[in-house]
Amino acid sequence: MKFGGTSVATLPRWQNIRELVASRRAEGARVLIVVSALSGITDALKQLCAQGDKSKRIEAAAAIKQRHHELLEQMQLAPPEGLLARLDDLAQLAEDGPRVLGELAWQAQVQAHGELLSSTLGAAFLSATGVATQWLDARECLTAIALPNQNERTRLLSAMVEARPDPVLTARLAGLGEVFITQGFIAREGRDDGIAGRTVLLGRGGSDTSAAYLGALLKAQRVEIWTDVAGMFTANPRQVTGARLLQRLDYEEAQEIASTGAKVLHPRCLSPLREPRVPLLIKDTNRPELEGTVIGPEVREHAPSIKAISARKGITLISMESVGMWQEVGFLSDVFAYFKQHGLSVDLIGSAETNVTVSLDPAENLLDSDAIAALATDLAKVCRVKVIAPCAAISLVGRGMRSILHTLSGVLAEFGQLRVHLISQSSNNLNLTFVVDEEVVDALVPHLHDLLIGAGALRTDDSALFGPSWEALYGRGDVAPAAASWWRTDERQRLLDIAAKATPRYVYHLPTVRQQARELKKLAAVDRLHYAVKANTHPAILGALAEEGFGFECVSPGELRAVIAAVPESAPLLFTPNFAPRGDYEFALTTRATVSLDALHPLQYWGELFRDKEIVLRVDLGRGLGHHEKVRTGGSGSKFGLPVDQLDSFLRLADAHGVIVRGLHAHLGSGILDDSHWGEVYGQLASLAERIGSVSFIDIGGGLGVPSHPGEAALDIAGLDRVLREVKTAYPHYQLWMEPGRYLVADAGVLLARTTQQKGKGAFRYLGIDTGMNSLIRPALYDAWHQIVNLTQLDAPATALYQVVGPICESGDVLGTDRRLPEANEGDVMLIAQVGAYGKVMSSPYNMRDEAEEVVIE
Amino acid sequence: MTTTTQPRLTQVFRFVRCNYADGVAELAYAFDDGEELVERISFPDAPAVPAARAAAFEAALTLLHLVAGISYYKAGVPPKIELANGPLDDATADLLDTLYLHGLAEFAYRNGLDLRGRIAFPRASPPSTAGGRGAGGEGTSSPQAPSLGLPQHTLVPIGGGKDSVVAVEAIKAIGGEATAVWVGNSPLIAACAERTGLPMLNIQRELAPGLFELNQRGAWNGHIPVTAVNSAILAVAAILYGHDAIAFANERSASVATLEYEGQQVNHQWSKGYLFETLLNDWLHSHVAADLDYCSLLRPYSELAITRAFAKLTPYFDVFSSCNRNFRILGPKPVDRWCGQCPKCHFVFLALAPFLPKPRLLSIFGRNLLDDETQTAGFDALLEYQDHKPFECVGEGAEARAAMYALSQRPEWQEDALVARFSSTILPQLDVAQLALEPWLQPLGEHRVPARLQPALATIG
Repeated sequence: MKFGGTSVATLPRWQNIRELVASRRAEGARVLIVVSALSGITDALKQLCAQGDKSKRIEAAAAIKQRHHELLEQMQLAPPEGLLARLDDLAQLAEDGPRVLGELAWQAQVQAHGELLSSTLGAAFLSATGVATQWLDARECLTAIALPNQNERTRLLSAMVEARPDPVLTARLAGLGEVFITQGFIAREGRDDGIAGRTVLLGRGGSDTSAAYLGALLKAQRVEIWTDVAGMFTANPRQVTGARLLQRLDYEEAQEIASTGAKVLHPRCLSPLREPRVPLLIKDTNRPELEGTVIGPEVREHAPSIKAISARKGITLISMESVGMWQEVGFLSDVFAYFKQHGLSVDLIGSAETNVTVSLDPAENLLDSDAIAALATDLAKVCRVKVIAPCAAISLVGRGMRSILHTLSGVLAEFGQLRVHLISQSSNNLNLTFVVDEEVVDALVPHLHDLLIGAGALRTDDSALFGPSWEALYGRGDVAPAAASWWRTDERQRLLDIAAKATPRYVYHLPTVRQQARELKKLAAVDRLHYAVKANTHPAILGALAEEGFGFECVSPGELRAVIAAVPESAPLLFTPNFAPRGDYEFALTTRATVSLDALHPLQYWGELFRDKEIVLRVDLGRGLGHHEKVRTGGSGSKFGLPVDQLDSFLRLADAHGVIVRGLHAHLGSGILDDSHWGEVYGQLASLAERIGSVSFIDIGGGLGVPSHPGEAALDIAGLDRVLREVKTAYPHYQLWMEPGRYLVADAGVLLARTTQQKGKGAFRYLGIDTGMNSLIRPALYDAWHQIVNLTQLDAPATALYQVVGPICESGDVLGTDRRLPEANEGDVMLIAQVGAYGKVMSSPYNMRDEAEEVVIE
Repeated sequence: MTTTTQPRLTQVFRFVRCNYADGVAELAYAFDDGEELVERISFPDAPAVPAARAAAFEAALTLLHLVAGISYYKAGVPPKIELANGPLDDATADLLDTLYLHGLAEFAYRNGLDLRGRIAFPRASPPSTAGGRGAGGEGTSSPQAPSLGLPQHTLVPIGGGKDSVVAVEAIKAIGGEATAVWVGNSPLIAACAERTGLPMLNIQRELAPGLFELNQRGAWNGHIPVTAVNSAILAVAAILYGHDAIAFANERSASVATLEYEGQQVNHQWSKGYLFETLLNDWLHSHVAADLDYCSLLRPYSELAITRAFAKLTPYFDVFSSCNRNFRILGPKPVDRWCGQCPKCHFVFLALAPFLPKPRLLSIFGRNLLDDETQTAGFDALLEYQDHKPFECVGEGAEARAAMYALSQRPEWQEDALVARFSSTILPQLDVAQLALEPWLQPLGEHRVPARLQPALATIG
């Protein structure tokens, strides 16, 4: 069991250690505790080492002594002999300075005292509180080996130990007791001449590595790393709050994740455990009940899955281009000699016949030194050199990466929009790394994490591998657990009755529409909400939202007519078409709708039509967001919006026709779950609006995401309100409008169907239902994931793995892949969830199958 | 919304009144017989105006009323200007005629207006022959205002960009007393001001809400010479709080016209130029206080000389921004301060590049603008390549070309898309002898820096 610096710094933390050790003892295990120095002490010792002035060194040693005495006082313990002796040693070392031992050996000796002191103190505390604990000198167990590429500094300050199971040591300890405590971070120099070696340090991640070495030496049952987080996650939780706990990893995967960004474990500490097959367990000291991450040899039968996505920023690429390297012996050797000469370490390498591109890891000193300029000058002698920065490396990590590639099309399409400077796929098949511009990373990583889940490449539905999300474990306390869906509880029987009469049928639950509407009305910063009716034009839904005070956004004359027929005249209308013919505008201008334009063409050619009218201008802020390429509506690749660089031309045309630009609108895409995005759009639109005097409202569109996968976090409405209010404070003179669609109605609708036939084919089992892409095209069109349940056998164990398919003659007529469901019987009622938006409205009579009826329930 | 309130059809712009009480100046204007447009300027923790400075304060406040009117006047640009307090003396009328004509030149150009002959502030005597062309230093016929014994303490306006920071550090380098001052609510400027470590003064300016309504009714809109307004605000502040100098950070090239349009010079930065500096400095000496100096500390320096000085001021790298986009909400990332699209982003990136290690520069901007082909047009405009300025013009274009040429000679830059394009497409048309960086680093030309601050000038070069 290893405990880090903060875990050994206070009395309550030591009491916690005592309890954990006692619980392991109760399980019958013998325990070896490995500790770091008290938090802050290693840094204090380093500063002591850097201090040339003797009196300052003595002062520093005294402060360290004081710190340990204070902790002993808290523990109500008399200072044990051993501790006093160590403190005297330290005082002596501080007084002597490096003269006697030599600079590096002295530093190692001084810094070793952090762990020597904490372990001595811990032994005293544990023994005094009823857990008899033997103090063990780690240097008697761990012997550093000399490696050919080491110099004196690395030999002493970042030593390596070869840790093979040592039955002699195991037997010796067995004779001494049941509980031991020893030091992390330190070892003894190995020597051939029989003289006792010097004290050496293990370098960064040292204490974890010590625990791993000792685990390997003793061939322990397991190594437990106790830290402040429950384990490794599928992404950095600071970037992706929905990152899921990884409950099971193999050594290689874990090492890859640790190397590509996860800070919880140093990658060095896994290799000693691999050969003796000792599992490593990461546990949260404050939440010992959480399962944590188990890293072991076990590769159980699982579908290949991506385990994590990570990003490393601050990367500089050096791209070298020369025909000279083609079939020329020694070119790379010459080139890499320059990197060595300028002290630059190379990480990733990508090569083509005439180009080699390498990455340099981030280092603060790189920023202000001339190393890059000097390197470029040297390299320019032998090739064309280009320095590309600032970049970030995004790695997807998981065993069997190549077999997952086919699921990644949507994810890879995301990279298609970016400048990808380098792609590397390691031959160990564990990772796939993309080097991209650093500026895109903060938004991209959470988005990719979602896409990976959506694409079924990160199989969060496998609860053996993936635990709860970071948000669920450590997030703000105010996140309420998602309420059970309406169709699962109160309305299940009613739905079964409805299905008994006929299938397929869409069923809409109006209370859910109202509930979502009221949720959005909590956005105090928003002055007006328009329902984007394209999501669902059912008159009952339009009526319900009109009662909630919503306006309506329409994109065609047909929608305008439908809305005008269904809602009272007081409800405001917006007409926001795209590439619509002239006649559409002529019609819209006869209604009460506010018309929006998103191109120069209407004013250029039909300017008189709009004379003296007030219009809304939809602009394209130059980038798009959303859960699928086909729902992204910003960026040059999208047909929507006036590019900002044409704004001046638009305003001149408007002026020429007396057209008043009253509103400014942008809409970047759909299914966006990140609240900061709207703040950005709002702020950008408001700063544009300041260039146009006549604007009085800003319309930031919709696209509010609706989570579909289990455990995916819902949009944080309170967070969104905070973001919007912040912008509103800066631009109080503009009204704020929004146009939500899917958010209001998606959860309110379900599609009911009945099972038809089943078929086994190779490893696949197909489950047929009586409607498919003719009723619901989103899975085929957007790769959308909809929850599918067997409503007839809702609580039966899900033992079968089905491909759920419809009756349409298209191989794409698949509603759900790899779904764990109960064994189905012919005629079971299947429910497809979250189809209230873009379900019925996008259905078709394809194959001349009857359209699904719509039923509304209160 | 009757037709009489159509701002573009108004006939008279009236300076109605200005008064000051409890740290708040109220400046009132009106079009025709319309409602008053009242702007409020709040001076925090304002002390009582000492009796000895009462006349000076009154004069500065009057000027502020006249200068700040430009934001409102431009909404309608009516043919007539009226002053409730009677006509102006020649020097004052000349200053304002000149300011309104040149300061609104870009506004006029963009809106297709010609303001020549339209702007005439009422004056007590017939117009002088100078007729709106203020001749710096020659209008000294007016009597000097008395010397007030103002404390030796400089007001340094902070803009959030590199220039004001260079000015601040130059004054700090000579041990001068100074206050970092800014007008408005920019969090970026506040962060920059805080980083200077100087005492801070944040003056609030609240535009008349009626202006927003006028805009909605189709008022003329566009660029106004905001530096002139801020200068007038600081003149009031200098008398109120007791400062003997206002040191702006306007560089040499601010005096260079952006383009010429139907025989009129259009300069986007006119109120940052030397002509306005001399006019206002002279006017303050003659009408407010003989010992209140208004100057630009960076006047003799080129942009490149200033960026070189700024490149040494590492502590500001993560707070400053020269970006044109008005960032009202500050975030921690470079994209929260630099839009990367506007000419200022382009220029500051290019001008800093010769003086900073490449990784450091890229970390400031969070991206490499010179390796982004979508920015080609923007950089071409800076280089005055295929854009409205011809090559023989001096000013920012030549500076940008010198910086770009320097980069084209550096291996770590030369393969970046826009640097490579410069080398292959633009450079062959240029005379390399004209592209040296060094001449730009030398101070040149006139300035109005008072003797007390002249040692600070030397620390910049």
